[in-house]
Amino acid sequence: MPTTLTLNLAPVTLNAPDDKPLLWALREEANLVGTKFGCGIAACGACTVHVDGVAIRSCVTPLSAVAGKQVTTIEGISAKGPNAVQKAWIEHQVPQCGYCQSGFIMATTALLEKTPDPTDADIDAAITNLCRCGTYPAMRSAIKKATQLQKAGG
Amino acid sequence: MAKFSKTKRALLIGTGVIGGALVLGTTLAWSRVASGKNFKPPVKAGETAFNAWLKILPDSTVVVQVPRQDMGQGIYTTLAMLVAEELDADWSKVRAEQSVVNPVYGVSVLLGDGAPPALRPAMMALGPVLGLQLTGGSASVRDGWMPMRTAAASARAMLLSAAGAKWNVPVTELTIEKSIVKHAATGKSAAIGELAQVAGGLTPPSTVNLKAPKDWKILGTSPARLDVVEKTLGKAQFGIDVRLDGMLYATVKHIPYVSGHLQEVRWKNGAPPKDVLHLARGDNWIAVVSTSYWSAKKALEEAELVGGGDTGTVLSSEQLAAQYNEVLDGKNDGVLKPLRRTFGEHGNAEKAIASVAKTQRIDAAYSVPFQAHASMEPMNCTVQIKDGKVDVWVGNQSPTVVQWLAAGNVGVPSENVTVHTPYLGGAFGRRIDLEVIRQALACAKLTDGKPVQLIWSREEDITHDAFRPAVSARMSAAFDDKGGLLAWHHRIVGPSVTKNVMARMNPLVAGDFPPDFANADGAAELPYALAHFKCDHAQVELPVPVGFWRSVGNSYNGFFVETFVDEIAFALKKDPYLFRLELLKDQPRYAKVVDAAASAAQWSSALPKGWGRGIALVYSFKSIVCQVVDVEIVGKDIKVRRVVSAVDCGTALHPDNVKAQISGAAIYGLTAALKSQITLKDGQVQQRNFDTFPLLNMAECPQFETVIVHSGAPLGGIGEVGVPPIAPALGNAIFAATGKRLRGLPFVLG
Ligand code: FES
Ligand code: FES
Repeated sequence: MPTTLTLNLAPVTLNAPDDKPLLWALREEANLVGTKFGCGIAACGACTVHVDGVAIRSCVTPLSAVAGKQVTTIEGISAKGPNAVQKAWIEHQVPQCGYCQSGFIMATTALLEKTPDPTDADIDAAITNLCRCGTYPAMRSAIKKATQLQKAGG
Repeated sequence: MAKFSKTKRALLIGTGVIGGALVLGTTLAWSRVASGKNFKPPVKAGETAFNAWLKILPDSTVVVQVPRQDMGQGIYTTLAMLVAEELDADWSKVRAEQSVVNPVYGVSVLLGDGAPPALRPAMMALGPVLGLQLTGGSASVRDGWMPMRTAAASARAMLLSAAGAKWNVPVTELTIEKSIVKHAATGKSAAIGELAQVAGGLTPPSTVNLKAPKDWKILGTSPARLDVVEKTLGKAQFGIDVRLDGMLYATVKHIPYVSGHLQEVRWKNGAPPKDVLHLARGDNWIAVVSTSYWSAKKALEEAELVGGGDTGTVLSSEQLAAQYNEVLDGKNDGVLKPLRRTFGEHGNAEKAIASVAKTQRIDAAYSVPFQAHASMEPMNCTVQIKDGKVDVWVGNQSPTVVQWLAAGNVGVPSENVTVHTPYLGGAFGRRIDLEVIRQALACAKLTDGKPVQLIWSREEDITHDAFRPAVSARMSAAFDDKGGLLAWHHRIVGPSVTKNVMARMNPLVAGDFPPDFANADGAAELPYALAHFKCDHAQVELPVPVGFWRSVGNSYNGFFVETFVDEIAFALKKDPYLFRLELLKDQPRYAKVVDAAASAAQWSSALPKGWGRGIALVYSFKSIVCQVVDVEIVGKDIKVRRVVSAVDCGTALHPDNVKAQISGAAIYGLTAALKSQITLKDGQVQQRNFDTFPLLNMAECPQFETVIVHSGAPLGGIGEVGVPPIAPALGNAIFAATGKRLRGLPFVLG
C-alpha cells in the first residue's frame, strides 16, 4: 500500500509494502542513499533519521509507521549546506571511511535540538551509534564545537 | 579470458610468484614514469593528462589519479599531497580520482614486504610487470612515494618549459607557487591551467630532482582531507549506494556451517515465494534476485539450506584449542598435521633455556580467538553484463584482481571489464576477498543485461567472514645470574592467512605454498637484545576461512610477545618501561619511541586506587608504535581510561591523519581486546550481528593522546600499526591494577 509522508519538507508517496523498513524505502524507492544500512536490528545507528524531529533507527521502523509524519534524512539537513554539527565535523575532520557518519550526524543534530549544551554523560547516553573506524575521539570534540557554533547562531 | 591475464594470474597466485621474480630484470616501476612512453589516463574535454598520475584542467584544478582504495585511511589525500608538493600546486584546487586499472599502477613495495628477505628486491622488481593494483600491507604511501613525486616533478618541469618558451625567458628563472608560474624579472605570470595544454604535449624530462624535505610546503602539514566534506554531507558514494536504471537487488544466504557444500534447498512452502525473480546457486550459498533488497531478504527467510556439517569439519573453539595444545606439545600425528618452520633464529635458545635452573626460567601460554572484520558497510557488489561488456561496482582492495576474476568468470577479455571503485565503508583486509563478486556475477548472468546489486545482511557478514584466525602460542625465556634476559623461544600454531586467501582466489593453490612470513610478523624479528632467540611456527589447515585482518600476524604476535616481556619484567622485579629500555640499549630509535610514550603518559605518576598502567611496543609495517594504557577496574568491569601512543613512521606526511589512524586502529584493537570474538560451536559461528558481536562505543572510548616521533627513517605504514600494541598494553595495565595475568583475548576478569 502506498504511504504518504513529508520527506525533507516535501510531500511524497512511496509505493512499497507497509512492513518494508523506512531505511529500504528511503534507499530504494526515494533514492536517498545517504542513510546507511549497517545491521538491520537497531544496533548500530547507521540508519538514523528524524521522524517529527526525533532520531530513530529506520531499519526497524516500518514504512507504515511514518505515514503523515515529517521525515528528515541527511540529505534534508544538508540541503542548505552544512548545519552546525556538520561544520564542526568538517573542522575536526571526523570521518574516516565515512560510512557511519550520516547516522552519527543525525543523532547528534537531534541531541543538540533537545539538549543544546550536553555534558559528556549526555553524549554517552544519546550517541550510541557504532563506528568501526573509531572516530569517537574526534566526534566528541566536534560535538562540543557544534554546541558553540549553534549558540553563536551558526 | 584473455591469455595475458591468465598468465599474470598464474604468476601471482601460483607458487610461480617467487620463481617469476627471480628471472625478471630489475626495472623499477617509477623509471617508466619519467620516460614518457607510459600510459596516460582517459581525459574529458579540456583535461590534459601529463602522465599516468595526474591531469590538469583549464581552471588549474589538478586531478590526481589514485590507484589505491580509500577505506578510511585517508589515502586519497596523502597520495594527492605527494603530487601537490612536487608540482607546487594550490591544495584548494587538488582533487583525487580513482584511476583506471592499468599495469603502470602495480604495487612493488607490498610485494617486497610479503617476500622472504633474500627475495625482496626481486619481488619489488616484479611489481610493474605484474601490474597488480592492491591496497593493503600499509604500503600505499611507500609504493606511491617515488612514482607519484617523480610524475609531479616531471609535470612541473614541462609546465616551466612551456612558460619559458611562451615568454622567451630561461626556465631557470621561473618559479611555481600555489599553481601560478612566475617570472620575477619581467613580472609575468600564468596559472598552470593556462599552460597545461601546451605543456602536456612536451617531451617529459629524462631526469628530475625531487625536493628535499626541508623545502616541503604541503607534506608534513595537515591540510583538509579531500573526502571529509562529502562524507559529512552524506554525499560520498559507497558501493552500496550505486543506483542504475532498471537495477535489481539480490541477497545471499550461506549454509549454516563455516565449511562444507550446499546439498539441498528446502523452501517453507515447497517453492520459492513469488518475489523471487531469479535464483543463483554456488558451492555453499544461494542468492535471490528480486526488485528490492528487502523482498529478496524476506524470500530467503523461507529457505533452509542443507549442507555442511561433515565429519571432521564440525569444529568447536574448545576442540580447536585442545588440538592447538597437542601441536604445541610436539605432536605431529593428531587431527592437525602441522607443517613446522622456523622463522627466526640466532644462538641456541632451546639449549640455553634447558640448561638454566627452574628459578631462572619463565614459561607462559597465550591464545587469541577468531575475529570478524565487521566493516560498517556490509559486503556488496553491483554487476551489469551487457553486450559482451561487464561493469563491476564494488568496494574492493584490488581492482586488478576483480578485473581478472570478472573476465574469467564471464568469458570476456579483460579489456571488456570495467571495475568501478567507490569509497569503501571500511575494509580492514575484508575486501580483498572475491566471494561477493562471484555471487553478484552469478546473479547478473540471469537478468538479461539488467544491473544487479547484491548485498549481504550483517548476519551473513559475521557468520561467513574470512576470519582473523584463532592462534595459540607458548613462550619460554631464560635469565642469567645477574637477571639479564638470555634466551627467548616463541612457538606459534595457526593457519597461513596468505595461503588461505590465495586458495579462495584460485583453488589451484593447495598443497605446497611458500613460507608465509605473515604468520610470524611481530615475532620473528624483535628489537630486543637477546643472546639466544628462536621463533617457530606450526602451520595447520583449518576447515574455517581465514583472512587478512588489520595488522595480520602482528595482531596476535604483538600480544604474545609484549605480554611475555611484561611477565619477564615482573619476574625479574623490574619496571616494565625501564626493562624495555634495558633490552633496547642498542636500539636508540626504538628507545626514543618508548621514552616519548612514557614521558607523555607520565609513566611514574601515581594512579588512583583500582587503576593500573601498562606499556607495550610493537614494530610493524616499518613503523614503531609504543602505547601506554591507563585502566580502571570497577568490580569486574575493565574501563580503559586513557591511551597514550608514540609513533615513529619515519616522517609523518599528514600528522593529523597519522594520529587519527593510530587512535582508530587502537579502538579497533580494543573491541577485540575487550568486547568481541568469534567462537565456533559444532562447525557454526555463534555470533550473528552487533548484538552478539558488539563494538566499542562512544561511552567506552578512552581519551587519546598521540605523540609523533620524527626519525627521518624510510617511510613506514600507518593504517594498521596502532592495532598490535593495544591489547598487550591493556593486559599489562590490568595486571598492574589487579595482579591477574590474562593470557587470552578478549580479557575477562573472573
Ligand atoms: S542499520 Fe539500523 S541500527 Fe544498524
Ligand atoms: S568512519 Fe568508518 S565506520 Fe565510522
